[in-house]
Amino acid sequence: MKQNLIPEQRVLEEVRKAISEGIDINPAIVTPESSLMKDLGAESLDFLDINYRLEQTFGIKMARRTVLDHMEELFGEESAIDSDGKLTEKAAKVLSMRYDGAEYEVKAGMDMDDLPAMVTVSSMADGVMNLLDTLPEKCANCEAQNWVLQEETRIRCGSCGEAATFTSGDDLMQVWLKQVQESKKIF
Amino acid sequence: MTEEESFFAGKVALVTGSSRGIGRSIALAFARAGSDVVINHSKAGGASERKAQEVCREIESLGRKALVVLADIGQKSSVRDMVGAVSTWRGRLDFLVLNAAKAPFRPIEKLLEREMRQLIETNFMGNIFCIQQALPFLEAAGGKIVFISSLGSRFYNPSYPLGSMKAAMETVVRDCAESFAARNISVNGICGGVVKTDSFKILRQNMEELDQIPDELAVSEDAIAEVAVFLCSPGARGICGQTIVVDNGLSNRLYRPAWAGKQKSRKGVDS
Repeated sequence: MKQNLIPEQRVLEEVRKAISEGIDINPAIVTPESSLMKDLGAESLDFLDINYRLEQTFGIKMARRTVLDHMEELFGEESAIDSDGKLTEKAAKVLSMRYDGAEYEVKAGMDMDDLPAMVTVSSMADGVMNLLDTLPEKCANCEAQNWVLQEETRIRCGSCGEAATFTSGDDLMQVWLKQVQESKKIF
Repeated sequence: MTEEESFFAGKVALVTGSSRGIGRSIALAFARAGSDVVINHSKAGGASERKAQEVCREIESLGRKALVVLADIGQKSSVRDMVGAVSTWRGRLDFLVLNAAKAPFRPIEKLLEREMRQLIETNFMGNIFCIQQALPFLEAAGGKIVFISSLGSRFYNPSYPLGSMKAAMETVVRDCAESFAARNISVNGICGGVVKTDSFKILRQNMEELDQIPDELAVSEDAIAEVAVFLCSPGARGICGQTIVVDNGLSNRLYRPAWAGKQKSRKGVDS
């Protein structure tokens, strides 16, 4: 369900903090539009560091694998990237939906290594919001519908104290891809 | 000046991939021991370049000299330029620490051809390029080579093709130790355990249970770095062609699930 305990602005602030601490840069230059790689100089290890910080902050589990990995798992080998690491037509179509409104256009033939450059501070914050919005109706432990906020970023059951469990980033990505496939029949 | 400082003073250590993580700790450990240090990173304009400059300043604040060199060790010409820069800078190279690594985190059967080539170019050929280019300087100095391996060389880690490169390099360590002994160059390796920093964040991508490894079985970057310095010191003169496990006892506990449930800690206190 859509959670309303942690406001979007707070999530954005925490994402900015995780990025500035993860890459070790001045938070002032981390704007919502900044591309982590192109503008802030993040490298692959930095993404893992930032994800780790966000998981610790919100009690969520960020995606371990890329959307391309998930496409290949669901729709078969070389459905997303060809043997040279270039995006297929079908993958480009799916990614255009995922990165709708992004500064960079996704095209077939694009190198898979260029995709992380599309991740911006705000797209990362959207990703965190999507995970938080998988908050279950009831506490898995006591079934109470009494979520409360602790330490400003952690959602817990107000009745038994159990930490909320959210859908993982990988599971959420697969759900989304299945929905896209169901409605658009791309693969 | 201590005996260690007088041995390391004025000598030059080149640590590949030393802008962050274990490499950074090794660079700083050599500086603390008394050596001047060459810091290497592979990407211009990114976070690692800035971090390399920070390591440089930290070393200089210890009263040692430091040089930052941008070089992708997977490119032979790049390695040649790096060693050339070291030669121009100080005219000598005493310690070569092969720490740089880069690899995709995918199961071997799913690796693209270009990923396989990059895996081998950086993590196998790149190290050998460094050895080849550094050899005349190491020979002149009676130098040392230390390769930084990981437990992935001998234990299964899911989606960790780097492990096979580490295993190959441990063989190179044995091979070179024998062939360079006559030239008075020592070659050894360190097989590092789980460091709860960068490598931990990588491994947990595909190994959920890693989160449950108790802190006492994780090893610090400094613990690995200090062994690297030791392997270059006169005290290690009897060690030849070995890859020494530095993992705080993690691999020693693999006969039982080291992180399952409550257990006695090392000090015999319930944890």
